[in-house]
Amino acid sequence: MFLINCPYCGERDQSEFSAGGEAHIVRPKQPTELSDNQWAEFLFMRKNIKGVQFERWNHSHGCRKWFNMVRDTSNDKIHAVYKMGEKPPIK
Amino acid sequence: MPNWNSAIKKIDINNVASVNVKHHSELFISEVEPIMKLNVRGKSRDFLSMIGKILNIILPTEANTSTTNEHITALWLSPDEWLLFKNNVTNRGTEETIIEENLYKNISQKKLGSVTNVSDQFVMINIQGQNLYELLSSGCPFNFNDFKNKKGAVSQTLLNHTDVIIYNEEINKINLFVRRSFSAHLWSWMNDSARFI
Ligand SMILES: [Zn+2]
Repeated sequence: MFLINCPYCGERDQSEFSAGGEAHIVRPKQPTELSDNQWAEFLFMRKNIKGVQFERWNHSHGCRKWFNMVRDTSNDKIHAVYKMGEKPPIK
Repeated sequence: MPNWNSAIKKIDINNVASVNVKHHSELFISEVEPIMKLNVRGKSRDFLSMIGKILNIILPTEANTSTTNEHITALWLSPDEWLLFKNNVTNRGTEETIIEENLYKNISQKKLGSVTNVSDQFVMINIQGQNLYELLSSGCPFNFNDFKNKKGAVSQTLLNHTDVIIYNEEINKINLFVRRSFSAHLWSWMNDSARFI
């Protein structure tokens, strides 16, 4: 169990949240001009890093808002939490 | 008044009379019914001022807080979502329709936001007593240390794996909102757990 600082509600238990996968994946502007491989790359391929990763999370049992998180997947240390649409506060 | 059935009353097989009220040694748990509940969503300044004009209430913009006037209470659920409920059990038939239609006309139809009647979606349960937070903490990951001394505080969290909205009405007195389909289960769980605290 660990705590997550929801940017809207404050610190809450991890069980109130759902993970939403890798963050900052930009949808291609013209999907029709892509090959199947390029489209599959956008749709399915994720980095799944061991270490610091940029992720989307949802406070599903609280305010139900989506937000971004920088988390070390090897030890669950959370480096930053920031709202949707905002730039990552660290590199 | 339209037909209204408690989600809780019919499920207690041991106690047929007034089973939506339960006394424990230091706890009193009761269903508050029937009560009007409305969910409102919106972001704009016009939305906030229109709600204020119609209901004479300022929606809280600070997280985990509420505002109240003599008739109605507004709970913060998210930066653009609130739960409104009447402070008193009312004749839902007429009064509720008037408020809902007024809001619908001036908010939904003018595209300022959305208004949803959730009177039958949520069941409101009142819990009072000194051991109230021990009961909640036996099935809830939320830290009640600050919450319990802050009148008007609001939290959405999990209680026994069930989504709930908890409102601190007074010291050692809360109102809990739970979805109707989960309410009978949560009711049994609360009354079972209350035996051990
Ligand atoms: Zn939240």
